[in-house]
Amino acid sequence: MPLQEILLQQLANGLILGSFYALVALGYSMVYGVIKLLNFAHGDLYMVGAFAGFGCLSLFSGWLGAGWAGIVPSILLSMVAVGLLGVVIDRIAYRPLREAPKLSVLITALAVSMVLENTVLAFTGGQFTAFSTDLGFAGIDLGLVHVTYTQMVLVGTSIVLMVVLELFVSRTRYGRAMRAIAIDPDACRLMGIDVNRTIALTFFIGSALAAASGVLAGVYYGSINFFMGFLIGLKAFTAAVIGGIGNIPGAMLGGLLLGLLEAFGTQIPGIGGQWKDVFVFAFLILFLVFRPTGILGKPEVERM
Amino acid sequence: MSLGRTTRGVAAAVAALALGLASSAPARAADIKIGAMVPTSGSEAPYGIDMLNAIRMAADQINAKGGVLGEKISIIPGDDACDPQAAVNAASKLVSQGVTGVVGGYCSGATLPTLKIYGDAHVPFVITASNSTALIGANPGNAFMINSTGYDQVKTAVDLFKAKGIKTIAIINEGDAYSADLAKLTRAAWEKMGDKVVDYEVVSKGEQDFSAVVTKIRAAKPDAVFWTAYYADGALLLKQLRQGGYTGMIALGDGNNSPKLFQLAGPAANGVYCFSNPTANFLPSAKTFTEEYVKQFHQQPGPYSTLSYDGMMLMAHAIQVAGGPDKMKIIAALKATKDFKGVAGPISFTPQNTLARSNFVVLIGQGGKWALYTGPGAPKMP
Repeated sequence: MPLQEILLQQLANGLILGSFYALVALGYSMVYGVIKLLNFAHGDLYMVGAFAGFGCLSLFSGWLGAGWAGIVPSILLSMVAVGLLGVVIDRIAYRPLREAPKLSVLITALAVSMVLENTVLAFTGGQFTAFSTDLGFAGIDLGLVHVTYTQMVLVGTSIVLMVVLELFVSRTRYGRAMRAIAIDPDACRLMGIDVNRTIALTFFIGSALAAASGVLAGVYYGSINFFMGFLIGLKAFTAAVIGGIGNIPGAMLGGLLLGLLEAFGTQIPGIGGQWKDVFVFAFLILFLVFRPTGILGKPEVERM
Repeated sequence: MSLGRTTRGVAAAVAALALGLASSAPARAADIKIGAMVPTSGSEAPYGIDMLNAIRMAADQINAKGGVLGEKISIIPGDDACDPQAAVNAASKLVSQGVTGVVGGYCSGATLPTLKIYGDAHVPFVITASNSTALIGANPGNAFMINSTGYDQVKTAVDLFKAKGIKTIAIINEGDAYSADLAKLTRAAWEKMGDKVVDYEVVSKGEQDFSAVVTKIRAAKPDAVFWTAYYADGALLLKQLRQGGYTGMIALGDGNNSPKLFQLAGPAANGVYCFSNPTANFLPSAKTFTEEYVKQFHQQPGPYSTLSYDGMMLMAHAIQVAGGPDKMKIIAALKATKDFKGVAGPISFTPQNTLARSNFVVLIGQGGKWALYTGPGAPKMP
């Protein structure tokens, strides 16, 4: 393999992996942006989404097949189901703690994560489930790199979802309400904004995005398990911080950057292989030292 | 109204829980308590539950024949979750519950820190699956390993590679005690013979995307790729290796002997080699064991079920020989074990308390399941 081909292939690898991180990072960033909560259960919603999508596909594959005709409705249904789950979680676990110290909500988020993981563990018996689809390995050759249709759909879906989300937050009334709550929830209440409903909407969208990403991961990698949300939750959180937490285009950039760092980090002689994660996270530390607010985050102004 | 319903629901749940606990028959004071330290939660739970089933089955059979020295054996599960911290907690709890002995140990990384806890309490510990060589040096003398260790597996692997005319290999592990140990030993043994390891990778456990590693391996062009960690991630790796265009030999360590691998990897697993301790389906001596296991648990016994069963039987035998629940005497009895007839083969120990023979076999993926490999480079069966 010539060096040029290796680098192009790693670029493709990084972008594909990065779009997964970006999709999950969006939800993290959105929820943090609005209520300043690090929702540690977010990675687990990705996992629940994968299982919901798997369940739907098992039902649909009889008459729609296990190709895209069956997968697309499964993704949509899973997004709705997990979106509602996100709303329920907010209603039960987070809303009663709205006025409580931030640390209490953080611990609650960890607890929610455990509850989700162990519930799915109980239902699946801890078994790894094979997510079989009819998607083949067909694709097109872009120069030296073979890109499958599945990979193209995957990256395309991520980009479309991110753009739609950005438009929603920047152009609609609901988006404006979310941004307003991020600045001052009490003033919003006085202005007649239904704060709790807007926060519920935020959870719905964030959770639905995690679910979409989870089903896509299941489709792409072909294996799902109750623990699959843990590592990606951690990575997505990292991506959100790199991008500037609370910032939507930032989460996208952070996700893609992290994916690329991992792919190229593996390739660096001497560092790759054993030291890949050290390389990636050392970069994170350095990055945050020199730019604590992330790529697109704005420094917080404290008025006295 | 709605509050009342919730309260009643909670009360019902608590009652159900209490009933559930009551029905699991608490140990009577006179029983001989044996701890079963296996991961029953976490990513390795399927193996752990399988081992617990086998240990319980052994205990039930012993009890049905009147127990040991007239005492019933009661099994106390301790969940190590394949995690060093959870394992330390589980081990401390078992010791404080006054167990006479402990059987189990699946993830070497989780088993390692428990050795000191059992050692300090002089609790005899029969390790039924963990086989990292790191356990040998850390053993205070009360632990006995009835699975062949990493050294035996490395020899089996190198013999196979040599017989297949392999010149360069790539080794991939997950950085935990078990897979890193196997990877390092293989690298040392391979380089000692003057052959090259062209790529040595460590990936994170639970990683689903191996594309970067696959690209790197394709560029390094090894004759064989050796994956030393567990099957769930291994299935994804070998699928992505084949999809990425790697056509060389793929060999997997003994954590990959699972039928699940074929569901997860699909046709990519055909022609792949796997080193394994002899599992029930390849052991003529395990026929009745398998029938009994399937009858009780409605599933095929997993790869470590025979060893776990043997471990419990060996512990009971040692208590019998020791003449009572005196822990030091049981340890002495275990040490003196000579050709104990286990379902997975005879058990004797080396001076380091490891199994005195190699029990490794080579399997090959064929038609969606593992088959015993008997071609060039295959080890002799006992």
